[in-house]
Amino acid sequence: MIEIVEASKTYAGGSGRPAILALDGVNLTVRASEFVCLLGTSGCGKTTLLKIVAGLESPDSGDVRIDGRTVAGPGPDRAMVFQHFALLPWADVLSNVAFGLELRGMPRPEREQIARHLLRTIGLEGFEHHHPRQLSGGMQQRVGLARALAVDPEILLMDEPFGSVDEQTRRLLQDDLLRLLERARKSVLFVTHSMDEAVRLGDRVALMTPRPGRILETVDVDLPRPRPPDVDRNPRLIELKEYLWARLRAMHAATGD
Amino acid sequence: MRRPVTDGVWTRRAEWGPAVLSVLAGLALWEIAARLWTIQFLPPFSTVVQTAVRMTLAGQIVGNLGFSLGNLAVGYGLALVVGIGVGLGAGRYRKIEYALDPILAGMLASPKLLFVPVLYVMFGVSRGAQIAVIFLSAVFIIAANTMSGVRTVDAATVQMALVFGASRRQLFWKVLLPASLPLTMAGVRLGMGRAVAGMITGEMFITLSGLGAQLRTYGNRFDAAGVFAILLVVVAVALVCSRGVRHVERRLTRWAEPTT
Repeated sequence: MIEIVEASKTYAGGSGRPAILALDGVNLTVRASEFVCLLGTSGCGKTTLLKIVAGLESPDSGDVRIDGRTVAGPGPDRAMVFQHFALLPWADVLSNVAFGLELRGMPRPEREQIARHLLRTIGLEGFEHHHPRQLSGGMQQRVGLARALAVDPEILLMDEPFGSVDEQTRRLLQDDLLRLLERARKSVLFVTHSMDEAVRLGDRVALMTPRPGRILETVDVDLPRPRPPDVDRNPRLIELKEYLWARLRAMHAATGD
Repeated sequence: MRRPVTDGVWTRRAEWGPAVLSVLAGLALWEIAARLWTIQFLPPFSTVVQTAVRMTLAGQIVGNLGFSLGNLAVGYGLALVVGIGVGLGAGRYRKIEYALDPILAGMLASPKLLFVPVLYVMFGVSRGAQIAVIFLSAVFIIAANTMSGVRTVDAATVQMALVFGASRRQLFWKVLLPASLPLTMAGVRLGMGRAVAGMITGEMFITLSGLGAQLRTYGNRFDAAGVFAILLVVVAVALVCSRGVRHVERRLTRWAEPTT
């Protein structure tokens, strides 16, 4: 479980510009095995919040707790999937997937066995010894996802993971993610700027406003799981999407973007 | 999909043709120019080759070359260890980088001949002086390139390693070091050329040993064919050395070559 309590973060403004209040008293809870999407306009502090939960940055005030313990840095209970994949270009697919396990000191045969198994479930069998640049964007992000799942974290942090692939690939990756999470339930905090993605994937959607970054409201996505591929036609999903867009549009109007 | 085409033999084959042609053309031009105008101190290429062969057969080359290359190996080896070590440290810690930046820039720009008097005083006429010149010629460019290599490592890659629990040591060995390899290896290759030049400088002006001393002797005698014969040997040595380094570089940094 992730508990974010009154978290604030200010960035010093460079060269004469005013300081930016990236997060202003953010409260959010992600319960065990819950999938929460952080939805907001660009620059609203979604990624900052995710980095704080990851332990890469710390809040100026407030508290972020994982299962009751305050986050002091990265930990084995959390893994992250990055927007631009962040794969090691010199290492092959197998080594990339096993990288987190390697850092934990797991011997090569064991970690490669786990990596091979994950590559099979994610549809990349036969690509073990390819290098990242030989793969398409969608395949690279599958490797990024497999790397995160390999360390079997309680919490999966995802920073616009499907934002840099084409729409068709995005759909496939979304379905893959849901399928994988059916097998191994995790708490997921998923940053996105797509209403569609937020309601397709999430149990709840947290709407964020920019400057200062605040959680405006959280919306329950009351659609049954597992979500079928044709969930897009579900009237409730369409309704939720419309609602979120109305709120976002009002936000855009208010900030003058 | 299995392996990009450019990784294999093709690049090398595509490189060889023009390279061999341009060298042959240059040598032909030299031969013709020297024969047409009989320029003083420019013997035709064929004469130089004959002289080089004669000197080799008379045992004047191999011994000297062996001595020179032994010093080269020691000096260049030290430059590799120190240059890469300092470059990695400077790339990792901003303060070391700021402290070293002006020194590196200054030393890169200064001709190493300037250090001859100092080295002469410090080491006397010894192998030490010879090794020091070679070391100084190569170490700065290796350090500067290694430093840039570490500095340009993608921030997202570093964050990724931290999220997955990398310790400082692991971050260094498993991310920063491999990521900086393409630029580090470029420095290692450039350093090789500078080390060979430094070797000759040292031998000509400090230690009066090896090929450099021979070069000087022939120069003083105005024996142009002898001078060019030695130069031919030096150039051949430099080419072989830099090809060797290039080969290692290719093997280590294949992943960073452009795909197209």
